[in-house]
Amino acid sequence: MVATSPNISTQQHYETVIVGAGAAGLLLAARLAEAGQQVVVLEAGPERSLNQLTSSQIWARRLKWAGPHVEEDGNHKIGHAFNAGWGTGGSALHHYAVWLRLHERDFTVASDSGVGLDWPISYEDLRPHYDRIQREVGISGDATADIWRPKGEPYPMPPLPVFSQGQVLQKGFSKLGLRTSPLPLAINSQPYNGRASCLYDGWCDAGCPNGALANPLVTWLPRAKAAGAEFIHDAYVTRVLRSAKNSAKISGVEYVHQGNTQTISADRVIIAAFTVQSTRILLNSADAENPAPGNRYDQLGRYLTTHPAATIFGIMEEETYPHQGVSGGQLLCQDLYDNPDDKLGASQWLIANAVKPHDLLGYGTSRPDIVGAKLKAWLTHAAKHLANMNIVVEDIADPDNRIRLSDNKDATGARLAHTTHNLSAATNKLWNTRVTQSEEIMRAAGATEVWHGPQAPMHIMGGTVMGNDPSQSVTDSYGRVHDTDNLYVAGPSLFPGTGAVNPTFTMSALASRQADFLSRKP
Amino acid sequence: MIDNEAQIATRGDTSRRAFLQRSLWLSTFLVAGQLVRATPSEAKQLGFTPQVLSAEQVRALEAVADFLVPGATAAGIAPYIDDQLNKGDKSLLMIKYLGVPLPDQAGFYTSALTAIDQALNDASSPTHQKINDLIKAMGSDTVNNWQAPPASFVLFVLRSDGLDVTYGTPAGFADLGIPYNAHIEPIELW
Repeated sequence: MVATSPNISTQQHYETVIVGAGAAGLLLAARLAEAGQQVVVLEAGPERSLNQLTSSQIWARRLKWAGPHVEEDGNHKIGHAFNAGWGTGGSALHHYAVWLRLHERDFTVASDSGVGLDWPISYEDLRPHYDRIQREVGISGDATADIWRPKGEPYPMPPLPVFSQGQVLQKGFSKLGLRTSPLPLAINSQPYNGRASCLYDGWCDAGCPNGALANPLVTWLPRAKAAGAEFIHDAYVTRVLRSAKNSAKISGVEYVHQGNTQTISADRVIIAAFTVQSTRILLNSADAENPAPGNRYDQLGRYLTTHPAATIFGIMEEETYPHQGVSGGQLLCQDLYDNPDDKLGASQWLIANAVKPHDLLGYGTSRPDIVGAKLKAWLTHAAKHLANMNIVVEDIADPDNRIRLSDNKDATGARLAHTTHNLSAATNKLWNTRVTQSEEIMRAAGATEVWHGPQAPMHIMGGTVMGNDPSQSVTDSYGRVHDTDNLYVAGPSLFPGTGAVNPTFTMSALASRQADFLSRKP
Repeated sequence: MIDNEAQIATRGDTSRRAFLQRSLWLSTFLVAGQLVRATPSEAKQLGFTPQVLSAEQVRALEAVADFLVPGATAAGIAPYIDDQLNKGDKSLLMIKYLGVPLPDQAGFYTSALTAIDQALNDASSPTHQKINDLIKAMGSDTVNNWQAPPASFVLFVLRSDGLDVTYGTPAGFADLGIPYNAHIEPIELW
């Protein structure tokens, strides 16, 4: 049933409406507009441009989620306000560009281990899209040294340099028999596709204004605009609308713009509003006659996942200059990725991240025990001798980890999202094992002082997982929502499993596969 | 009153670079009923008028923050917090990452700072030992009659805020010997 509202003021029609101007939404906008479709993108946040990307960890916070509050509970909350974005580019505007492929085994977790979910596609289905995306966007790396990497084209650019922090930490890994490779990054080590190369000043988290890091403002947005896609910012979508004649057909979306409720009708609607908000929009779209789209079997919102991560710090005798490099790190170790010993799950190390003294991930913040007169001396020493690495651990998809609607509402009257996320005992055990190993590596590298940060949520996935069985998933493998003809979801909410790798590359490959499908579809 | 760049320049280093750099790191504060452009530390020296915090809450904030991060008061912790709370949903405080919704930020700080002020017995100049004892009690959540968000969490937040204003700026980086190397220099500190 088409909802009506007395203050709906305008109505327009497009072939495709995309909700969310993040990496997935803008990739699809570019590709579908280039295929000749009439596309409009609705973005809840403000319009962003490169000249707004001020080099400041304080100013960087305006790039993070500033929309309606997301309620969180569980023993491992998802950290929505830190992980999500706000405005053009979405979370990819402040992402660190660690672009890694899922491993083949990540697609068959349930079949192999009896826990979690399988993907409805294999690595081979995504491989051509990984290759295409890395050609178009550019990735710096060393495919030969990256011995854990699944099959695919070599990286189009040589790796970024390894600075002193990376060189020092590499010795620790080597002493314990662990191999490292240059970290593959969607950051230019040399000019590529008209974009400049990196300056290695560690401001990635604040957004990269010189175009070296592949944020959507320099990758998909120019293509989308050149192909004629239209954009409406401050357009806060509250729900999708069903056709009055055919409940399987979605007629458009309702959104609030400058205080007014409006609608746009479309032949096709793509929800790409990042994990929690994509799910929330669908949940808020239930009406008197129909359950929320994709929720006939109470699957919508389930299998919410986030990588449990931690930063391990050390003070080294050697000089490390940890401000140098990029936020994502310099080196990678996936020697224990497939975890042959205990089959608890995948994990990886991201090594030698460029860090600042303050902010949530800063080394000063990580030591609340150091206060008063000794603080400045400690910070001054750390500014030249600190090293750090991050562990990233697989989260096994659990149906009880989910996004629901809260009883509380936002200013528009739409119910807020409430998330529940708990880590299993097995995942916690693996996380603890990797933290202990990391501290051993740090000492082997020469650290005189070692500590680690809290168990932190890195990335947010799931909630609208794809699958072949409508009773156990929300969409098919192209992101089409079950029981609908023309409603799609894009982004990491589709992921049935997480592996232990950063999700943006896989999300982009998945969106590329969707774009091919939707470009062909009449 | 500091109300233009020329006056600012006469107060310190008058080299062109310092002048230009300093002119970039200003914010707007209410001082004696007028809005002035100043650095947070200058706003502090000028006796800015807080818009959200009370004088007692400013007193408590500066006492604890400066104990945790020496220099935080001079760097402008009070104008910083007050200015951000006054910005509503444009707030840049780190607490947004820590599960405190934007509309609740002001309540978080006012209740926490009132609790600190009361724990210090409304002292206008509490002794080092007294603050030290309070910090220890806050760290273990054992402050008597604490009527605010968990004290250990408040402690973490205030220390982080102190790091922001003292070491999270170009001047703070320079103080630690870290090259700032901005790609785009902050027009305002926050």
